[in-house]
Amino acid sequence: MAHEARTAALREFFAPLVSALGYKFTPDRELADFLLEQEAVLEETRGAPFCPCQVRTREREHDMKIVCPCIPYHRAHFDAMRRCWCGLFVHQDVTDPGALPQIAASELGIEG
Amino acid sequence: MSEPVFVYALSTCPWCRKAKQYFAENDVVFEAVDVDLLEDDESDRLAGEAFELSGSRAYPVVKIGAEVIVGYAPERYAALLGIET
Repeated sequence: MAHEARTAALREFFAPLVSALGYKFTPDRELADFLLEQEAVLEETRGAPFCPCQVRTREREHDMKIVCPCIPYHRAHFDAMRRCWCGLFVHQDVTDPGALPQIAASELGIEG
Repeated sequence: MSEPVFVYALSTCPWCRKAKQYFAENDVVFEAVDVDLLEDDESDRLAGEAFELSGSRAYPVVKIGAEVIVGYAPERYAALLGIET
């Protein structure tokens, strides 16, 4: 892994933050490692660990809302899916993240 | 004739990769673009196009014919394309 040290640091930094929000890292370790590495790359190239699955607009107000962990800015949407959009985090009681599909906020009647 | 398929993707997004892999494995002819790998002007244009279609900044955005699906949803892709699951 090219960004192993930073990936490990992000993991350590995020864990208590998302725990306080009722979330935990996905038990899919391979997925988590991949996503964290992408975030380390984005941090290095774009200045912050943006969500790897949401597009930046280069408008600060929007882009700050997709810096990981972005749960507080998408709370209703993520709570309804029981996962965050990229799947790095799931609700604390989730044991089978593969059973949680991505569902657009608009389909859930939620503002994204 | 099968529906045209277009995938708006991000190079950093594993679900975008899965969507492209799904179409490839099911012999679906599709086009895809990693919006984040384009020059700024072209990236903005494609991201704007995806947003117009989906109302969302979340990826992947998959257009199958006139239908737009946000997210990796193989069952829904299959239903629209008549692929047996």
